[in-house]
Amino acid sequence: MNQPHIQPADAEQYVLGALEPDAAAALEAHTLACPPCALVLQREALLEEQLREVAQASVEEARLEARVIRPARWNRPRVAAAVGVVMAAAAAVTLLVLRPEQTARPGTQDEDFPMMALPLELPEVPERLVACPDLTSQETCASEALARGLLVQYPQGVGEVPRYEGHSGIPTDALSATGPYPL
Amino acid sequence: MGVALVQPVRSVVRQPEEGARPGGNAPEDEAGLARRALGGDRAAWNTLISRYQHRVVVSLLARGVRVDRAHELAQETWARLIQQQQKGQLTELRLPNLALTQAAFLAADEARRARRESLAGPVEELPEAHQPVDPSVSAERRLLSEEQLARAQVALRECSSSAQRVFQLACDGQELPHAEVAARAGLSVQRVRQILCEVRKKLRGALEEEAP
Ligand SMILES: [Zn+2]
Repeated sequence: MNQPHIQPADAEQYVLGALEPDAAAALEAHTLACPPCALVLQREALLEEQLREVAQASVEEARLEARVIRPARWNRPRVAAAVGVVMAAAAAVTLLVLRPEQTARPGTQDEDFPMMALPLELPEVPERLVACPDLTSQETCASEALARGLLVQYPQGVGEVPRYEGHSGIPTDALSATGPYPL
Repeated sequence: MGVALVQPVRSVVRQPEEGARPGGNAPEDEAGLARRALGGDRAAWNTLISRYQHRVVVSLLARGVRVDRAHELAQETWARLIQQQQKGQLTELRLPNLALTQAAFLAADEARRARRESLAGPVEELPEAHQPVDPSVSAERRLLSEEQLARAQVALRECSSSAQRVFQLACDGQELPHAEVAARAGLSVQRVRQILCEVRKKLRGALEEEAP
């Protein structure tokens, strides 16, 4: 074994696929004869696998957040169109009239998303809470609200429509608002 | 290795949803390749193999497989997948996850057999200690604890947004070549690799931190 030992930077370049074929082959050959260098290479490879897990977890997280902004059940195509309209309408009304204690959700998802914790922590509807009742503009409205640091109040998933009561004290203007409407 | 030992890999291992991809033509290209490969197009298989071969080898190295054996197992992985396709056992081809799962299975299977054989023979004939990580242990489970994952995500968020984007493009499972990552991020390949090394360094530190 005449070759110099592998530097971690070389092993990193190998794992990244950035080494020229000759250099990669030499590095591989060295690890076959030198267990400590095989371990260096294994550590870099293991880190790479771990980083993939981090990257995929971030993708998962982004997807979960996207689901919160616009619950998937609201527009699932397999729900018959008519049923969908009725459910979406119910959801839109619920959006406006849910009492804080009714918005408590199962603690299993999105623990750190502000609008989850908020209704449980604050007895009063806070000023930063808004509604996005207009179904056609709901998505842009919600994005706009979130971008402005406002909290969009959503009902729970629509599969099980939560209880709601008429229109308790919600301004009727809210129903026709296309942007975030303060509650 | 007897074919009977091979776990049929029929299940679809899902990658992040298409919608989570950062855009561009690669997904369509990928879907088209997968379709052709499923139809038995050898050229499509070859393209997919050359795209994902290194990833499969690295995943085996991470499990402590010697590099020469890692290359052999990677070849065998592709042979198995093609065999399954020819028998009509593959209905979808989600790569690289399907190949990674198959490779992990082969490595675990080999480790199991090596252990069995070594237990039957004299101690002096135990196989060389070339498996610092037992592949059968890590074949299915996640590599990171919740704490490590959380620390790594905090560290990642501390990186610049362009560094985060490069990291996601390069590591989210699409196996985009660095040239493609560079094109999408508007950077040079050299800069992309430099950024990846910086992010790796940061995340390595976060992962190695002792839990409080
Ligand atoms: Zn060495």
